[in-house]
Amino acid sequence: MAAKKAQSGSLKLSAVLDLNEASALHGKLMAMRGGDVVLDASDVERVGVQCVQVLVAGARAWDEDKKSFLVEKASNAFEKTMQLIGINPANLVAKES
Amino acid sequence: MDMNEIKEIFFQECEEQLAELESGLLKLNDGDRDPETVNAVFRAVHSIKGGAGAFGLDDLVAFAHVFETTLDCVRSNKLEPTQDVLKVMLKSADVLADLVAASRDGGSVDGSRTRGLVKELEALAHGEVPAPSHEAPKPAAKAAPVAAKVEPPKPTDESGFQPVPFTFDDFGSDEEPPIEGSTYEISFKPRRELYSKGNEAALLLRDLSRIGEMSINCDTGSLPALDKLDPEDSYFGWTISLKTTKSEDDIRSVFEFAEWDCDLEVKLSEAETSDEELPMVPVPFDLSALDDAPVMEDAMDDTTAQDAAAAVAAAETASSVAQAAGAAARAAKKDTAAAAAAAAQNNAAAAAAAAGQTIRVDLDRVDRLINLVGELVINQAMLSQSVIENDATGTSAVNMGLDELQQLTREIQDSVMAIRAQPVKPVFQRMSRIVREVADMVGKSIRLVTEGENTEVDKTVIDKLAEPLTHMIRNAVDHGIETPEKREAAGKDPEGTIKLTAKHRSGRILIELADDGAGINRERVKQKAIDNDLIAVDANLSDEEIDNLIFAPGFSTADKISDISGRGVGMDVVKRSIQALGGRINISSRPGLGSTFTMSLPLTLAVLDGMVVTVAGQTLVVPLTAIVETLQPEASAIHSFGANQRLISIRNSFCPLVDVGRILNFRSTQANPVEGVALLVESEGGGQRALMVDAIQGQRQVVIKSLEANYTHVPGIAAATILGDGRVALILDVDAVVSASRGQSLRAEMSLAATG
Repeated sequence: MAAKKAQSGSLKLSAVLDLNEASALHGKLMAMRGGDVVLDASDVERVGVQCVQVLVAGARAWDEDKKSFLVEKASNAFEKTMQLIGINPANLVAKES
Repeated sequence: MDMNEIKEIFFQECEEQLAELESGLLKLNDGDRDPETVNAVFRAVHSIKGGAGAFGLDDLVAFAHVFETTLDCVRSNKLEPTQDVLKVMLKSADVLADLVAASRDGGSVDGSRTRGLVKELEALAHGEVPAPSHEAPKPAAKAAPVAAKVEPPKPTDESGFQPVPFTFDDFGSDEEPPIEGSTYEISFKPRRELYSKGNEAALLLRDLSRIGEMSINCDTGSLPALDKLDPEDSYFGWTISLKTTKSEDDIRSVFEFAEWDCDLEVKLSEAETSDEELPMVPVPFDLSALDDAPVMEDAMDDTTAQDAAAAVAAAETASSVAQAAGAAARAAKKDTAAAAAAAAQNNAAAAAAAAGQTIRVDLDRVDRLINLVGELVINQAMLSQSVIENDATGTSAVNMGLDELQQLTREIQDSVMAIRAQPVKPVFQRMSRIVREVADMVGKSIRLVTEGENTEVDKTVIDKLAEPLTHMIRNAVDHGIETPEKREAAGKDPEGTIKLTAKHRSGRILIELADDGAGINRERVKQKAIDNDLIAVDANLSDEEIDNLIFAPGFSTADKISDISGRGVGMDVVKRSIQALGGRINISSRPGLGSTFTMSLPLTLAVLDGMVVTVAGQTLVVPLTAIVETLQPEASAIHSFGANQRLISIRNSFCPLVDVGRILNFRSTQANPVEGVALLVESEGGGQRALMVDAIQGQRQVVIKSLEANYTHVPGIAAATILGDGRVALILDVDAVVSASRGQSLRAEMSLAATG
């Protein structure tokens, strides 16, 4: 069981993803490297660009590792901000039309 | 100084700002178009918003922000402050006051009311004229909703701004008129500093998206791998294509406060080529979910950011309205933004300057000081007396020193009393709110005119005045003023007027509340009094007596009980609280023309200048303010009138002679006027009476000690005091004695007050 848990993790994103949260989020993601990860964005109320940067970088890192990096239950605010910034909230890559 | 103290100061300042706000709005309502007035109003709201942001009072900030935005439209002459507009503004000021109170004392404000007003305010900010109550819609209003529809964002979420359905005949266009204008190519790359200064690129993008139709491409190319990433650095850059009717300056003004911390390029793009070159994602119109949070963030992060947000919001709204009106003045918009920011800065400076002129002192401290000065006055009087008793010559240095001491104590006392004296303005302002609210509830249109609001009176009097005044104002609105239809039928202006006046009269403060309503329906009042067993069926009452029946406990003429008044606990409570203040209340009513309530209150509840007199061996103090002159009656000047009334002729006019000793039951027979002294007094009714006393002892300042608090109310006696020799003397209630002399005895008057 323990081994399996290391394989996949889940992370609940804080309500406020601002400048202060960026470092914390970065740290949390770094600690979860190497396994599949599911981010729960249901509580997110506010997102700053710097947290988005961390998330996008995370998505790329996981992509390199060939692991899955998923955002689940994205809140309205989360989706809207992502759209505003021009990032596809589903897979965290720059949107192309 | 801990946070709570600072917060307390903030709330005190809020009170001042709210007063400023209200008086400014009322001035505007009266047709004042001085830009300084508008600015003062704007500043008041802005300061409240700024402070509230610092303390994280979300509701307050959110509402103040919307309010401020609308006020800015007025300030930049985009919105004409008509009566209808000001009605919304005044209501908003009330809600703002409630929000402040709720933030301070806990509790909550009715959410639907706030939301409704937010909606109205936003409609105004978008250039809509509120649905006028009487006249037909103004043609200018028709153009407005178009702009409102084009404008994508909605400043606050839950309010969900709804364009009012208007006819679009003039435009012949369909629901969503296409945006015309040019497309701009914007490249925006924030630097690390932008974030570390508390700005947020997402917010700038959001503000940008409000200007027009926006497509965005996020350049994530420079983003390093996760392990090499510095979470606080800036890696993203954007290429934005914005289709808008605004100028380049407007776009740049969005970035105004971040300009130095980012690479920004704005240029006019060639028509429609951008989409092919770069992958662009259209940004949806509905970004409402994001909208209330940023205000808070700005406010908390630092004030610069907040000002930026305000300025941006201001610029936006300003431009949308301008667009609607078809007004050119593009350059002016940038000015607006700059002005908003400048005003915000001036604000802080102005607030600091104003704060330097006053200090806040705990009321308890002032009270303690006043109490001590009161004791000092008594002590000084005692000292004088004992010196005079022991030194018959009266020329010694001690006597001169005593004189000086007396003057000094007098000055100290005056100064201390002046600390407590405050204009009645705040109470009057509260009344205008009550008039608005109650009038709204009962669907009447009423204007409150105040006069003499700078009349100063002791703070305790002011504090205790608010409640009875509120009762009376409610009564006047609910019962006094008729409905607009009835008024029109009676040939009166459909808008009722309530006049609230304060003035000094014979050492007291006189507060008059006059309405121009129907007046008291005496037939009904009498019938009601009979029904309620307040008077006998065959009672023969004068008009005045009938009017005074409304002060009887358990009396209400309203046919049905309403929320506002009419439970029959109103006027008797009013009368009792006024009496408790040492005041009197009178009513005069003219059918069809309205009623006037007159309250007369003492200026202060602490000291009194009095004339010490002797009546039938008792020492009494007559308030000096009531006395016009004193005279020694001659036998030839005394004339009998009726069975036991007497008149005194003074300079060829007659004046009723009042035997104080007889009325107070100090003696059973009438005194001989020639042996006594007559004090000519002026009563509140305006008439003069000659009070007859046995002898005058002298004038003295006395400290009032309440008789009610220590003993019980005595008819004809206002209070008591301690004299220099330590004896208790009674202070005469001149008006009560005068009215008692008009036929009824004191007891009768009291029983009338009790029964009807």
